[in-house]
Amino acid sequence: MNPNDLATTSENTWCPGCPNNMILASTKKVVSDMINERKFKHEDFAITTDIGCNSKIFDYLKVSGVNALHGRALPLAIGMKIGNPKLKVMAFVGDGAIYAEGMAHFIHAFKYNADMTLVVHDNQSFSLTTGQPTPTSQKGYLSKSEPLGVFDQPINPLKLALASGATFIARTNARDMEHMQEVFRKAIEHKGFSYVEIIQDCLIFNVESNSKDKRMYKIKDNTSKKAAEKIANQYDYNAHKGKIPMGVIYKVNLPTLEEKWPQLKKQLPKRKITSTKKASKKVKISKKKKSKKK
Amino acid sequence: MSLTILIGGKAGQGINKVSEIMSNVLGNFGYYTFNYRDYQSLIRGGHNFNALCISSTPIESHESKAGILVAFDERTIKTHKKYLIDGAVTITAEDFKDEGRNLNIALAGCLTKILGIPFIELKKEVKHQLKDSAKAIISAEKGFESQKDIYKLKKLNNKISRLSGSKAVAIGSKNSGLGSYIAYPMTPATGALHELAAEQLKQNRIVYQAENEISAATMALGCSFAGKKTMTGTSGGGFDLMGETLSMQGIAEIPLTVYLASRVGPGSGVPTYSAQSDLDIALRNGHGEFPRFVLAPGNPIECIEKTSEALFLAEKFRTLSVLLSDKHLAESEFSSTASPVKTPKFEVKRKIPGTSIIKASSYEADKFGNVTESASLTEQNVNKRTKKYEDAKKFIQKNFEMIKIHGKKNSKNLIIGWGSTSGAIKDAIKGLDAKFLQVLYCKPLSPQIKKEIKKATNIILVECNVTGQLGRLIREKTGIKIENRLLKYNGRPFRSDELKKYIEEIL
Repeated sequence: MNPNDLATTSENTWCPGCPNNMILASTKKVVSDMINERKFKHEDFAITTDIGCNSKIFDYLKVSGVNALHGRALPLAIGMKIGNPKLKVMAFVGDGAIYAEGMAHFIHAFKYNADMTLVVHDNQSFSLTTGQPTPTSQKGYLSKSEPLGVFDQPINPLKLALASGATFIARTNARDMEHMQEVFRKAIEHKGFSYVEIIQDCLIFNVESNSKDKRMYKIKDNTSKKAAEKIANQYDYNAHKGKIPMGVIYKVNLPTLEEKWPQLKKQLPKRKITSTKKASKKVKISKKKKSKKK
Repeated sequence: MSLTILIGGKAGQGINKVSEIMSNVLGNFGYYTFNYRDYQSLIRGGHNFNALCISSTPIESHESKAGILVAFDERTIKTHKKYLIDGAVTITAEDFKDEGRNLNIALAGCLTKILGIPFIELKKEVKHQLKDSAKAIISAEKGFESQKDIYKLKKLNNKISRLSGSKAVAIGSKNSGLGSYIAYPMTPATGALHELAAEQLKQNRIVYQAENEISAATMALGCSFAGKKTMTGTSGGGFDLMGETLSMQGIAEIPLTVYLASRVGPGSGVPTYSAQSDLDIALRNGHGEFPRFVLAPGNPIECIEKTSEALFLAEKFRTLSVLLSDKHLAESEFSSTASPVKTPKFEVKRKIPGTSIIKASSYEADKFGNVTESASLTEQNVNKRTKKYEDAKKFIQKNFEMIKIHGKKNSKNLIIGWGSTSGAIKDAIKGLDAKFLQVLYCKPLSPQIKKEIKKATNIILVECNVTGQLGRLIREKTGIKIENRLLKYNGRPFRSDELKKYIEEIL
């Protein structure tokens, strides 16, 4: 399979040059690669999306899935995992949908820790509906719905995720396809709920928050919670100066939804091939514990 | 023979235990019972009571006048004094306060003697309930010896089984092989949640409590999409929140069954009391136009049957099924010698992820499941969904019981009602020249209803709501306005004697 085998005949209606195209291409690449590597079967892969420009990705991917209502991609995905724990599921959402309408689902998803991936296309704007502010829009952002400017500080979703018990948090850049693909793969391979925040420009709305590439720097995969808190604090979605850390910000292995529920656990395939990998992961965990003690 | 025992006291004192023990003793002795539970939204204190009605023939409701009062506190005596028949017996828990945790059993001892049931029947039940029953049996004896036998019940040969509406919904779900129940707790739907959760491992089902009703319904939709037979459940407030998901179901055509157990609204209303005021939202909740079925069982046997039918229809036609109940049906304990009809069995045969590439969407979609804004496709899809409902209507008319006629079949006096009110109507028309048309499907509505109305000279609508929601629905579908309406909307269901008086006044 090559990435284009995951294409559909639907007309692409994103603006010319929209970074969503790069997210789509990266998804096709990683998913087709992983199907070729027999990590999972094409039929076992499913996505959920909701409402917003980002979610048009649903129409451009030839994979199973449900295009949900605004903010509801996560409960739909988790429901799918309860229905069939063997599915590989990715939810693609925008910052407006997940951090506003779907915030309760976002916080609880970390607690449930279903083995799936959440990808947030964060352009700090409700673009499809002409640029109203979202929870991550910077203070002072002028829009048609808030012409006096946003009075509030933006939320920091990474800190929220950490506080909610996330087992995998990563941040990547829509313009850096290589990094994005690397992060996607790590996220999909993570056993548990993996959360990927993509910093993305919108070419039409909230352009003042665009072009942060120069401030971004790549970090090594981090497994320390304390360090993760510091990393998450470095960028608050508001300041026009300062560094923006990119990469795997936190990773820990904790029991997944599918492992915690006996009804789901017994449906999981018992694969012995992964045993060597599991062992190596265990070593990593013990190292982590040691580093914590230090 | 029929008799009512009123058992009242503070929440937490154990009035339910007394009615449970006595219902079992009476059931084993061949008597029908109906236990109405009147309780407040609190954990300890206040005033709760049960009306346990006993009869040698089937009953499905309670009466206002009691022959025996069991009072756990003074307030019970003050509150219920006016509802006692002449010569009623009052037992006070105060007299048995030394029995400690076996107080309830001592009171059951009193009742057993007053009813004239041999002590051995109570002893069997106490042994059945408690591992270490020696002390409890002494308490039971104390209660038994303290009373005189007044009612002298004779053993009957009825094989009685007892069920609440909540338990029956769980049984119907199990019969249909429900794979998952995803909900958020809300009285009075919580009973079914508890029942389904308790047996989940044994019955190979997952019962998941989501973070809110929007999530519960959406997860249920996702779970159903993945191929599981799925149901969610809630009361009116939660059903409001689920509105968007119901609408999503309409366009995505993923099978979904929702158990809606009503209570008194609007708002938080009177949370632990009963009303039939959510028929409107059961019929209409969710934006846009899309097919659905609304099934309204009236007793636990019908709950078993209609739960299975709801799940069957949702899967067969990829639609929304709403199973409508309320506090009175969900939480009252009914007795019966009947058994439900054969379960309509089904398997999930549609395309599902894991074996196919399949898409569903909240948008109007093309044949691949991808978004379309085309005028012709939009129209085609709407027509397809509308036709689906027409097909389903025919199927239901052919295969499932949509109405029931009770009482004198040739009577010109017609009572119309539905759901939990059915029990009181059935009991109220005993001995009257009247027949009762019970509506079991509120959507689709049976064409038989119009014919029955045309045949009748006196028509009375009986419902527990203020606007006569079924009456309005019948008027919408048949053009017939029912002028005589008996509507009750104080949170308390009709009592059979009270209803009988009202009906007699009209006829």
